[in-house]
Amino acid sequence: MAFDTFMFILMSGILLGGLYALMATGLAVVWTTLGVFNFAHGAFVTLGAYVAWQVTQPVAGGFGFMIAVLMSVTVMFCLGFVLHFALIKPFERNQNVVLLAVISTLAAASIIENGVLLTWGPRDKQITPPIGSRINFFGASINAFDFVILAVALLALFALALFLRRTTMGRTLRAAAQNREAAELMGLDVPRLFAITLGISAATAALAGIFVGSLRFINPSFGADPLMKSLIVVILGGVARFTSPIYAAFVVGIAESFSAYFLGLYWSPALLFAMMIAVLLIKPEGLFGHRSKTL
Amino acid sequence: MKYAPPFQRTNGLLPVLVVFAALILLPLVITETYARHTLILVFIYAVLASNWDLSLGYGGIVNFAHLGFFAIGLYAYAILAKVIGLDPWVSLLITPLFAVTFAVLLAIPILRLEGIYVILVTIAATQLLQQIVVSQSSYTGGTSGMVLLPRLEIAGYKLSSDNRLGYYYFGLALLTASTFFLYKLERSSIGRAIKALRDNKYYAISRGVSEARTRLVTLSLSAIFPALAGGFYGAYLRVASPDVFGLGFLTIALSVLLLGGVATIWGSLIAAFVVVGLSQLLVDYGAWRNIAIALVIISVVVVYPGGLYAAMQEIWSGFDRAKTNLIATFRRKSGAPARARAMGTTDQLVETSHGAVSVCDTHSGAQTIIFIHGNSSCKEVFRHQLEALRDQFRCVAFDLPGHGVSPNADPDKDYNLAAYAQIVAELVERLKLGRPIIFGWSLGGYVALEYVAAGNPITALAICGTSPVRTYPDDMPKGYIPSPHMELAGKRFHSPHEKGQYATHTIGLQKDAEPILWQAVWRTDGHAREQAFAKLKTTDWQRQISVIQSKDVPFVMINGPNDPFINHTYCARSEFGTPFSAHPILIEGAGHAPFLEDPKPFTQEFLRFIRAAQSLPVE
Repeated sequence: MAFDTFMFILMSGILLGGLYALMATGLAVVWTTLGVFNFAHGAFVTLGAYVAWQVTQPVAGGFGFMIAVLMSVTVMFCLGFVLHFALIKPFERNQNVVLLAVISTLAAASIIENGVLLTWGPRDKQITPPIGSRINFFGASINAFDFVILAVALLALFALALFLRRTTMGRTLRAAAQNREAAELMGLDVPRLFAITLGISAATAALAGIFVGSLRFINPSFGADPLMKSLIVVILGGVARFTSPIYAAFVVGIAESFSAYFLGLYWSPALLFAMMIAVLLIKPEGLFGHRSKTL
Repeated sequence: MKYAPPFQRTNGLLPVLVVFAALILLPLVITETYARHTLILVFIYAVLASNWDLSLGYGGIVNFAHLGFFAIGLYAYAILAKVIGLDPWVSLLITPLFAVTFAVLLAIPILRLEGIYVILVTIAATQLLQQIVVSQSSYTGGTSGMVLLPRLEIAGYKLSSDNRLGYYYFGLALLTASTFFLYKLERSSIGRAIKALRDNKYYAISRGVSEARTRLVTLSLSAIFPALAGGFYGAYLRVASPDVFGLGFLTIALSVLLLGGVATIWGSLIAAFVVVGLSQLLVDYGAWRNIAIALVIISVVVVYPGGLYAAMQEIWSGFDRAKTNLIATFRRKSGAPARARAMGTTDQLVETSHGAVSVCDTHSGAQTIIFIHGNSSCKEVFRHQLEALRDQFRCVAFDLPGHGVSPNADPDKDYNLAAYAQIVAELVERLKLGRPIIFGWSLGGYVALEYVAAGNPITALAICGTSPVRTYPDDMPKGYIPSPHMELAGKRFHSPHEKGQYATHTIGLQKDAEPILWQAVWRTDGHAREQAFAKLKTTDWQRQISVIQSKDVPFVMINGPNDPFINHTYCARSEFGTPFSAHPILIEGAGHAPFLEDPKPFTQEFLRFIRAAQSLPVE
């Protein structure tokens, strides 16, 4: 294998890893804070991409890429905030909350997906990337925009980590995640904090959706794949630390791009799922960490 | 001991027979192909959802790979019958082998896992299965699937001919077999082990239920009929495509399960008609249909988690309450002369804070005796005592709310020991009964104890057919002989057979000998039974025991040695002995209701106790 091919595969794996890290962190934040898996995460990715696409269209004013990103992230934050009260809050005290949340978020995913289908139709769409030029990277020709995406994704994650660790709001979120009862006794409005968490998760999903949508085509059901990949990443990495799913995302991204090259497109998802089952069997707490969950 | 009568003795027999007969005759009325197609889909989804309930509802194993069993059945049929060229019937019948194999493979990773991890592994397993199916396009047709699968024929008769008549009956047969299988399984020892693991895992394990083996068995058994349904689906539509792994199938099957109600076989069957019928009606609306189904799922989960089956129980219960209340109203008027003859006095309705009660009062006499009847009975059980004692005492007997000719009351507030004791207190005040002697039978015995424990003054207290309880529920199996009767006593709905059983056991007499009492069981509000038993745990039992053991209250137990329910050794413990009788007084030859079966010796013993109690100085 030529070096430039290797670099190309590696770079596309790292780019995938960056996107997966963005999606999986959103999922992991909800899992560690609310204690449920959000199966509407993929639908958030889809809807975020469509909102951004709509904003860039002439009919909506034809705003630039940056405005589209801001609009989409804001809209999705609000949606996530509201959906907490509809999907998870009603049975947060129920002992079957995990199962009930799976069911309600799956149903919400179906509603969002079909709503997108009704609103924007089944045809593929693409968000025009703001930078079209290609650069030569160790012999491999790579989109300059890919680097931007990777940088922005990592920056966004870094900003989220700073927010969670250094700001009062971030600390209250972590407090609510670590010990809900104690947080409530300290006077924190835990349902609102949980809603904010779901909002943040939806916002990161939207960002990821916009990036995916400017790399590939978007259609109403394209969120299913990001959802599955995020699940794999979160399980592989575990949620012991904020960074655990991020490492795992790069492992999965690189593994996926190499296996797609060597094993073919059909077998690489099968390989990832087999990896996930194996990790669950051997080390259910994930590759990078302990069984406890913290932010 | 779990009470599990055979199916033909339950309330379910008649509705099931009617629906089954209707489904058999339905093709005579519905000849149109599309309507029959919808019904065939209903059968398939009903099989899928009700078998899913075995793992999800009964087993508590959230298996999101259930549709994988269906998909395996479908593809196994397709490959065996089309690619390999086996006989379609043989192919169909061996599809469960493959699905069960997959279930075993699936069970191995999730034996150790809990909660969300089970969900994730099963979702991943389905995805893995889908990837394998899609990637092996030379056998499975890849993403485009397989078409023109062999169809089913019986001796040259195509099941699809006559507007799919054959497929209709085959689907119905499959559903019937699956339901029979699930019904039998749920009530078998395996079924109980499955439920025990769900309800209290560590207790079940400590009693010898193997968690790993039971999970394996649960998943394997829940794979059999979905695989057959998958094979049948393939033979019927003649198409096998990877769509079966998609969200569409999953959400419909899930909504059938949830709408019907988790852990009820019948719920899934009812919901299959509703959901599949609805989704076939909305088939032209595309995306709106999926949104509607998703909204149904969310609203059921959020608003009414019990599902349709619970709703039907509620409706049936409301109907039953209205019926029993109507019977009581009717009898209060039309049966008054007969009751007056039996009791020697007419009954009157007295309002209390816990509903109106029908009271018999002989009015004359300085000392009052209050008789409190038991569960699902009525005041007329005491008619022999009223006759024998009315010359010397003022005798008062009343129907508890929801019993006899008293109207029904509020199930939440009025059907419990404290409310019943409160009713007695209000009657004492209203009718000016002074310091009464109280006699309580069975459940009424606890009411009597509760009345005294609440601090109400009395002259003497006697209970019959009641085991004193120190700690609930630990003492219940000690004080009573475990029998199906215990289950019946707290059961909301009785089938006619169960009503007969209950009446015979409690009063020890046959129908013709005691028509009024026999009717009382039929009339009793099911909620009264259910609530009185459900709320036993809220009673302060220790307080009742201190009543028995206090030397201030003249107390005695009078029992029948042939009582089939109470444990006589337990009742004869010295801690329940009193100065009047170290052991319970036994009425020779009598059962649960000695005052009714052997009134003369009972009344003699009762009188002797009253005289002894009255001779004590009143402090």
